[in-house]
Amino acid sequence: MNKIILRCFFLSVLIFITKSHARPISYAGGWTIMQMNDFNKHSFHFHFSPSIKYSIGYKSEFWRKKEWQFHGTQLNYLIKRINTSKSQTNFYLKNGLGIAFSDYKNFEKKIEPNFFSGLSFDWEDRRYFTSYENRINYNSSIDKFFVQKARVGYSPYIGKYGDLHTWFMLEIQHMPNVQDKMVFTPLLRLFKDDYLLETGLSNNNNFTFNFIKRF
Amino acid sequence: MKLFFYITFSILILMSNLTNAENKENTKDFFTISVNGLVCDFCARSIEKLFMKRESVLDIDVNLEKMLITVRLKKNKNLDNQTIKQIINDSGYDIVEINRE
Repeated sequence: MNKIILRCFFLSVLIFITKSHARPISYAGGWTIMQMNDFNKHSFHFHFSPSIKYSIGYKSEFWRKKEWQFHGTQLNYLIKRINTSKSQTNFYLKNGLGIAFSDYKNFEKKIEPNFFSGLSFDWEDRRYFTSYENRINYNSSIDKFFVQKARVGYSPYIGKYGDLHTWFMLEIQHMPNVQDKMVFTPLLRLFKDDYLLETGLSNNNNFTFNFIKRF
Repeated sequence: MKLFFYITFSILILMSNLTNAENKENTKDFFTISVNGLVCDFCARSIEKLFMKRESVLDIDVNLEKMLITVRLKKNKNLDNQTIKQIINDSGYDIVEINRE
């Protein structure tokens, strides 16, 4: 099951990459692909930003421990952005509504409505980065949880526009109702032009691989 | 011989003045924008994408260190301040100053 989901994600990403000649970022009229994999889940988010304040798109997830999937719509809202002469700070609200599907244990192809909501914050200048986000997930029987994660980052060099940019990061993920309550993941973030890649290995020996393409 | 010299000299001066005038015109075909929040290359791509959508824009240069964007325009084209402000806002940044000198 896990392998099938992963193959689908990679196939989707490849299809979109071959189509994407331009159109970046979270600007008004921009599209973005986000594909994330860690010890908890594999996720795929493809969204469009009608304005700088909103983005809306398709979100799918496969949660590894309880082997359930989410498919639905995610709406992201920029609550506040603070631009200064040295840094940028963002506050976001993220909501998702869709279906949860599971055939794990006695959930035989069970489908039910699923909702999640969360807040996120990030601050960065050209050398340091910090972020925090949380999420509460609700469906009637498949999985209910709260998860939060924080990151700190450091860039070993200050690159120019168009250079390959490198960041060392540490992510701490906290999920109160699971066995590994706190998971630490050192990460390497690389980005150039419209492509961003992250890779890391957590203290519970799971790989993290994230990919973002803006166009 | 003298006539040939005077004519040649006059043409050279005239051509030189024309070239200078053309260069002066070209040097006016750009402006710089100082913005706040320009810390990330990955995010700053939006500025390039939005400016390059405009028919009058030749190319742009982003200086992350100075938070400065240089926009070069095609010959005899212009971009008004209101449009520039809209592009910068749609990219997610705050404009500090537009300099056309």
